[in-house]
Amino acid sequence: MADITDTCASMVTSTKGKKESAKEHKKRLKYYSASQWTLIWWRFRRHRAAMVAAAVLIFMALLGIFAEFVAPYGPTSRDTKYLDGAPQVPLFCDQNGCSWRPFVHGVSTKRDPVTLRAISVPDPEKRVYLTFFAQGEKTELLGFIPSKTHFFLLDDKRAKLHLWGTDDLGRDVFSRTIYATRTSLSIGVIGVLISFVLALIIGGVAGYAGGWVDNIIQRVTEVIRVVPIIPLYMGLAAAMPKEWSTTEVYFAMTLILGFFGWPTLARRIRSQLLSIRSEDYVVAARLAGARPLRIISQHMLPSFTSFIIVDLVISFPYMILSETALSFVGLGLRPPTVSWGVLLQQAQSVRVIEQTPWLFIPAIFVVLAVLAFTVVGDGLRDAADPYSDAR
Amino acid sequence: MLRFTLERLVGMIVTMVLVSMMVFLIMEIPPGDYADRYAFRKYSGTGIAITEADIEAIRHDFGLDKPMALRYVDWIGNIVLHGDFGQAFAFETDVTKVIGDKVWLTMAILFGTLLLTYLIAIPIGIYAAVRRASFADYGLTIFSYLGLALPNFLLALILLYFVNLWFGADIGGLFSTGMSDAPWSFAKAWDLIKHLWLPAFVLAWSAVAYQIQTIRATMSDELNKLSVTAARARGVPETKLLIKYPARLAINPVVSTIGFDVNRIFSELPIVAVVLGLTELGELLLNAYLDLDMYVAGAILLMLTFVIVLMNFISDLLLAWLDPRIKLGSN
Amino acid sequence: MLKVENLSISFRTDEGLITPVQDIAFEVQPGRTLGIVGESGSGKSISTKALMQLLPGNGIISSEAKILYTDKSGKTRDINRLGKKGRAIRHIRGGEIGMIFQEPMASFSPVYTIGNQMVEAIRLHRNVGRKDARRIAVEMLDKVGISNPEARVDQYPHEMSGGMRQRAMIALALSAGPALLIADEPTTALDVTIQAQVLELMRNLQRDLSMGMIFITHDLGVISHIADDVAVMYLGTIVERGPTDKVIHEPAHPYTQGLIKALPSVDRLHDRLTPIPGDIPSPNDRPTGCPFHTRCTKVIAGLCDQHQPQILQVGEDHTVRCFLHEKQQRASA
Repeated sequence: MADITDTCASMVTSTKGKKESAKEHKKRLKYYSASQWTLIWWRFRRHRAAMVAAAVLIFMALLGIFAEFVAPYGPTSRDTKYLDGAPQVPLFCDQNGCSWRPFVHGVSTKRDPVTLRAISVPDPEKRVYLTFFAQGEKTELLGFIPSKTHFFLLDDKRAKLHLWGTDDLGRDVFSRTIYATRTSLSIGVIGVLISFVLALIIGGVAGYAGGWVDNIIQRVTEVIRVVPIIPLYMGLAAAMPKEWSTTEVYFAMTLILGFFGWPTLARRIRSQLLSIRSEDYVVAARLAGARPLRIISQHMLPSFTSFIIVDLVISFPYMILSETALSFVGLGLRPPTVSWGVLLQQAQSVRVIEQTPWLFIPAIFVVLAVLAFTVVGDGLRDAADPYSDAR
Repeated sequence: MLRFTLERLVGMIVTMVLVSMMVFLIMEIPPGDYADRYAFRKYSGTGIAITEADIEAIRHDFGLDKPMALRYVDWIGNIVLHGDFGQAFAFETDVTKVIGDKVWLTMAILFGTLLLTYLIAIPIGIYAAVRRASFADYGLTIFSYLGLALPNFLLALILLYFVNLWFGADIGGLFSTGMSDAPWSFAKAWDLIKHLWLPAFVLAWSAVAYQIQTIRATMSDELNKLSVTAARARGVPETKLLIKYPARLAINPVVSTIGFDVNRIFSELPIVAVVLGLTELGELLLNAYLDLDMYVAGAILLMLTFVIVLMNFISDLLLAWLDPRIKLGSN
Repeated sequence: MLKVENLSISFRTDEGLITPVQDIAFEVQPGRTLGIVGESGSGKSISTKALMQLLPGNGIISSEAKILYTDKSGKTRDINRLGKKGRAIRHIRGGEIGMIFQEPMASFSPVYTIGNQMVEAIRLHRNVGRKDARRIAVEMLDKVGISNPEARVDQYPHEMSGGMRQRAMIALALSAGPALLIADEPTTALDVTIQAQVLELMRNLQRDLSMGMIFITHDLGVISHIADDVAVMYLGTIVERGPTDKVIHEPAHPYTQGLIKALPSVDRLHDRLTPIPGDIPSPNDRPTGCPFHTRCTKVIAGLCDQHQPQILQVGEDHTVRCFLHEKQQRASA
């Protein structure tokens, strides 16, 4: 009897073992037959920091895209009763007990006994509750869908919630930062796309043609690479006519940033093309009578697309930092457009850190975005490297 | 070596000619010209009405009615032959007078920053590679990510704030009050050095972060080279081994990117100058742009680029001297 | 002069501890050459690196291992007790035991002249001035057959041809006057004609300087030319060890037999070469029992795949790790 159970047990384990190995086998098969992009995704997924950074970026992009819904107020709406006001933190409890709904204390205006200036003082006896998906200011979602719904508002329509405080004109820093996220990220995206197209054309021509064409293009690239880039941007930005509208300035800025961002990427594409040009498989394609465009698009580009993507991701921070720096010194975007740089223009002195430190909150977004792009770029680079440890 | 030097020298001159053309183009872009702005500066607020003919006269006086190519030749000819960079409207004097001293201040900041960058980045990068995957290494990696992400005008503000808080002194600017207009003396130079560390630190920040990563990466590669094991197998003491074999080669990428670092420093200088109140070329450049004082801006942009090109040239020569393999394949 | 016992080497990796070398033992006599043969991945290179404490940071030598080395003054010490750093091990590295690597280009630093690296090694181990060190270096280059050594000494490695570089590497290893030379596939990266020259050179130098030598190769043909004794390694263990003549002519282990059959020979020009079937398994999934049983044509089911064979004496100084011989001996006993 004991023998029989023993054999049974061993049989069970052996079949289980076989099942396991079949599963393993399936996994292995899947691995061997996976495409390049699937492999890259698998490797990227294991890079925890890069995954977190990618999530941060996606979150920021969503904030920017749905700015009208997320931001309770418009970027230029003023709350004259709350100038240079401190951030208001939603509470669940105060000295009068707790509530399930988050609330903030109401604000009453008093006159400073010494300076006689009007100041806002929180009134701990007055509670104003938050409501979600509330109706408020009229906006246009994504710029064209009329809507009044905002993610959160105060249920007392006369009071306003300033999650991250207000600036000297009483504009809500939270709302402005959300709108600025859209502007800054979109400038980055468009700028990178413009440089990418230019780099692809210029680098592609130089790398495929070689010879004197390559020589001339190399010289021009060299020139743009040696001129300090921010002073160059500044020169072009300064040349923008003062009477241009904010939209015109916005497009001019993206053009400027994009137009001088190509040299690094173009060099990369050129050198990759030059080195691949004499590879056996390209020579074979040429001997087989393939046309240049087909050789470039079918045989040459796919071998380093992943590297181009990595370079694109890595060039985002430069775009964002350049825009921020230019707007910060007053040569980039102009109010009433809001971008991270424009917002930080209000925070140029030590006095601001001392008195209204919340005006620096947009800086956290800049740092976070640049950090996230760098980490995602590094993660992608590791994932795209076919020699990095697979599986 | 001579041939290599000559080749690089010719390349440098060609680059500078192309750069000067681009700078000239940028000077030309803003609407209106020198004459308009000159007239506006000179007569606005004086109540004198200016006519189109007056402006035309000014235009003729300055030779602005000539075609663009000729004007470029005049401009660059005056610079190369007479060291004359043209007129600064905002100051109503020669550009050379406005720039004057500030060139040397900018150079002081540049070399202070470069020195600080390499003094910090090289030993730390090497250390991180040798102690790979230790806590110190991870800490440094996080620091270098932050270093790349924190815009340095923000860093400047934060530092100013804390220095104010701890020392209660205003340490912005390049000189103590009263010193900036004093004639050059030992005391003034010392005062400059005392003020230099803050801008140098701020400007070095991102370069340090970047270079630590490069040095760590190349040093890690070099450490795994067979030549290092071979030297160890000959009984070379560990510290000497690290310095003579992998570290010596890990410095090459640093040398080859000197020009790149100078470019980065000059790029960030105008922005940092605003926050720190530095009175040097960067700040002057920014103000020239804001005032559309294009001849001043052009002169500064040209000068900064010249320094970068020169540093590229020096770095090429240094690299050829450091790495004997380069001379062989100079093309 | 060198006696290795119970040597196991492990590496800490992300997949856990792997042990590419398991319990090996060998011996080198003064003035004699031990050849170590094995496929790539058999652990022959790491074993010799361990002899000089040159394993990378994640490599561990088992604590029960003994690496007994008798130096030029006749003193015997256990290298495994010396640690990776310090004066004692540095004295042995280069000064007592010299090492030559497979890639002559990569073993030199590209940014220093040959002379610079030789003078450094000479001055580390001999009490001489810079000038004398240089003179020794030039002599050494001359001895390894480099023409015009006076000029060559100031050249950079990239200015030499592959064969010349390997000669220079030998000169560099010998310049500090070691008593034992470890040569890790020194001829593998060279052209066949130059291979023969370098082999000849090494054999002569070894005789002239009466050094002990460990010669690592994957080529059994090379071994028969240069080695007095041979150890055959497979997957981190020594499967057969003995005098070269015996091992080549009366191979006892199926693996050695397979290696010899795979060797082209003038006597068997019309026969097909018989390769050993299958691939060498990876050291992180080492087969149970005899490591060779997965490829062995004479495998005994139920024995070879379950139990580790013990070391057996099959002749004078000739040992083998194989159950086939255990059976024979039991039968004859």
